[in-house]
Amino acid sequence: MNKLYFSLSLTLMFFIGAYSQENFKLPNHELMTLKNGLQIYLVQQDEVPLIHFRAVVPAGYKYDQKGKNGLSNIVANSISAGSKNYTKSEIEETLDYIGASLSTASGMESSIISSNFVSKDLETVLPILKDIILNPIFEEEEVNKLIQRVSIGIEQSKESPRAVIGNYFNKNLFKNHPYGNPASGDKESLNSIKTKDLKQFHKKHFIPNGSAIAIVGDFEKKKIKKLLNKNFKDWKKGKDIEFEAPKISPLESSKVLIVNKENARETTMLIGGLGVPRNTEDLISIQVINTILGGRFTSWLNDELRVNSGLTYGARSGFSSYKNGGSFSISTFTANQNSERTIDLALKTYNKLFNNEIDEALLESSKNYVKGQFPPRYETNSSIARFFTDSFVYNISLNYINEFSQKVNDIDINSTNKIVKNYFPKENLLYVFVGKAELIKPFASKYGEVQVVNIND
Amino acid sequence: MNMKKTIFTTFIFLISINISFSQSKVEDIKEFKLDNGMKILVLEDFSIPNANMYLFWKVGSRNEYPGITGLSHFFEHMMFNGSEKYGPKMFDKTMESVGGSNNAYTTENLTVYTNWFPVSSMETIFDLESDRIGKLKIDPKMVESERGVVLSERSTGLENSNFRNLSEQVKSVAFMAHPYRWSVIGYESDIKNWSIDDLQMYFDTYYSPNNATVVISGAVKFENVKKLALKYFGPLVNKISPRKIHTVEPKQNGEKIIVVKKQVSTPNIMLAYHVPESKHEDYYALDLLSSILSDGKSSRFYSTLIDQNQKATSAFSYYPESIDPNLFYIYSVTTPETEPEELEIMIQNIIDDIAKNGVSENELQKVKNQKLVGLYNTLETINGKSNTIGTYEMYFGDYKKMFSAPEEYQNVTNNDIKRVAKKYFIKDNRTVGFLIPPTK
Repeated sequence: MNKLYFSLSLTLMFFIGAYSQENFKLPNHELMTLKNGLQIYLVQQDEVPLIHFRAVVPAGYKYDQKGKNGLSNIVANSISAGSKNYTKSEIEETLDYIGASLSTASGMESSIISSNFVSKDLETVLPILKDIILNPIFEEEEVNKLIQRVSIGIEQSKESPRAVIGNYFNKNLFKNHPYGNPASGDKESLNSIKTKDLKQFHKKHFIPNGSAIAIVGDFEKKKIKKLLNKNFKDWKKGKDIEFEAPKISPLESSKVLIVNKENARETTMLIGGLGVPRNTEDLISIQVINTILGGRFTSWLNDELRVNSGLTYGARSGFSSYKNGGSFSISTFTANQNSERTIDLALKTYNKLFNNEIDEALLESSKNYVKGQFPPRYETNSSIARFFTDSFVYNISLNYINEFSQKVNDIDINSTNKIVKNYFPKENLLYVFVGKAELIKPFASKYGEVQVVNIND
Repeated sequence: MNMKKTIFTTFIFLISINISFSQSKVEDIKEFKLDNGMKILVLEDFSIPNANMYLFWKVGSRNEYPGITGLSHFFEHMMFNGSEKYGPKMFDKTMESVGGSNNAYTTENLTVYTNWFPVSSMETIFDLESDRIGKLKIDPKMVESERGVVLSERSTGLENSNFRNLSEQVKSVAFMAHPYRWSVIGYESDIKNWSIDDLQMYFDTYYSPNNATVVISGAVKFENVKKLALKYFGPLVNKISPRKIHTVEPKQNGEKIIVVKKQVSTPNIMLAYHVPESKHEDYYALDLLSSILSDGKSSRFYSTLIDQNQKATSAFSYYPESIDPNLFYIYSVTTPETEPEELEIMIQNIIDDIAKNGVSENELQKVKNQKLVGLYNTLETINGKSNTIGTYEMYFGDYKKMFSAPEEYQNVTNNDIKRVAKKYFIKDNRTVGFLIPPTK
């Protein structure tokens, strides 16, 4: 036989014909593992004559070393600027010509290479994707242009509170843990990044062991397997990536960070604390509870802050989860003069969770909502591909989709109270406010110890 | 360069334009009209156990006048604030409790309401919609709190988006007569001051069933949709006929320039040219020109302005669908060493070059291919389907045009591109906006 190993995990479920939310199922898939450790998920979908390719490699920005923040992002964005067999313009012109998209990006855990293209162009696109993943050349001029552009982008993003507030929140929540890394780095760290750093990072992190590819769409299975094998079998195995990091510990007391923006019209805010790792067993229950708090239009937060009081266009809450931890935050914004009232009301509303104010009817409504909105999350080739690569990166069971409805059904009032107690941070919260510091300072100390920084620093 | 040629000659064979969507074909969309004039389009699609309902109302900021600017959008918010059977908050509460969610958006031309739900809840959705379309109750208390919401929406847009800041000023100068001159969100003073009577009048004028097209896609059966539509939308009655928007923007006779000051780290610029409406024969050529300028890294703007010369950090063009003649926008942000005037000249030079020399055959075919793939992408989801069907019906006069669009694009020649570049992208027909820091 050829050099493929098929570790077959075929689910014998039917995708089409699933008419109710209760039996919405994961589409049939096949997992093939190459000798070098690369995992490839194949899912056939023929609604449109398109194919989606998504690769994840263990090269997220959590691996950025101190002083080199932003390196992972520069690497991810440089791989498509020329490779061993294709010049930059060949890559760009070839893909643009056939209407194929290409995205290369750095996430917290992984770098992600994805492309959407017409089925018949498979043999054009695949060798290009392979070459930019395996053999980028990192030409100095291109790298410097990109660093320059990212550096300007960081300055420009300070014009929008919404674009920067998350970085301040993560930095202060995760402290020295790499989950507090800024994805794009900062001016200083970018200045210190050299082409040789990119080459080293690529060599170490763009390896087949620890990587996965998901391909979803309209393709011929036999043919695609052959092509994948041909393109990726010679990808050299590297040393398994270890991730060493300090323990993530909660704040010891409440903290307020005011990010001064002199010309602000409004205060933009995040209030929260530590969340949960992505593969937390209770994540579905947490989602059902968060839906009540701030995960839909009629949620408590949006109802109080928007509908009842007209203080804001929107208020919500949510969990951001990574492999080893995560964050929880309430987010909203309001006109300068309404800041204190809005913060107080947000906290009062959040506290309803801890006073056991969820009743049977509300829980039922949230469960229906979460179930009803579930299937569209897996409607496109790209979202299905993402499910498979996420399950790989975060160690999530492939049964997640098939068991989803049942798990939602199993939640009752008793388990609700336990979930609130275990996962929603109640004390020692972190408050980040981007706005006019002189207006916020007078009342901020009632929430915790105050620190003021300037948005332009 | 050799290599590139090889690639192109090997793989140039174009995407066939005889599109056959493996699921949706033109005859799969079924339509009917209720006696009250409401048009309903249905597309059965069983890929997920969900469905949607998109309601397209022919009312937007073009139907407003000074004093009630922004009312279309505000009204969109009021449609969620209580009707006879389902009082304040009950529209959302009821929908979410049966697993549905919703949203809505308002443009210069349309107000569109979108409902997404498990198909088992479809009858509830019909009931909710028919109640608010037929028997909306405008509660003064809800109006007051909603003013705060919309003022916050307006403010957060201006706080976070330079485009928002600059485009509303450019529009106000580019148009002197047509209602496209104000922003969809409206002036702050109008948001604070319109009356309950203004709202009631708007409802009675624009929310008559003959002013709407409803599109439903998903795991539904046509016969069932028809039955529910007759039951819930059939009894709705027409009220006042909307006045015709007869204002025609006079021809612009000379360049207009506007400077807006805001604390930005690098200047932003906008160029806006008067162009025809979506039904005009030049639409497809203009739309392809927009792609040639700014779609993908091989586009003229990206390769020239951002990559090779590093004069801009971003550059895009935008040619919105429109009922009346509107603007073709170009937006770009300078790099720190670049003067905004220099970037403006470079952009105009790129277009002038196309007007003079046209584009390459390869370049033209590229954007035609991109358009086709773009259509496939929208057809991947039931929401993409409903939105696209509705868009073609409202702006191009017939949803069937969505299926002939690839051919329309295919028929555009290099001469057409040259002709529209020459005709519309002249200085006398443009407005240039500069967003610069106060010290400059």
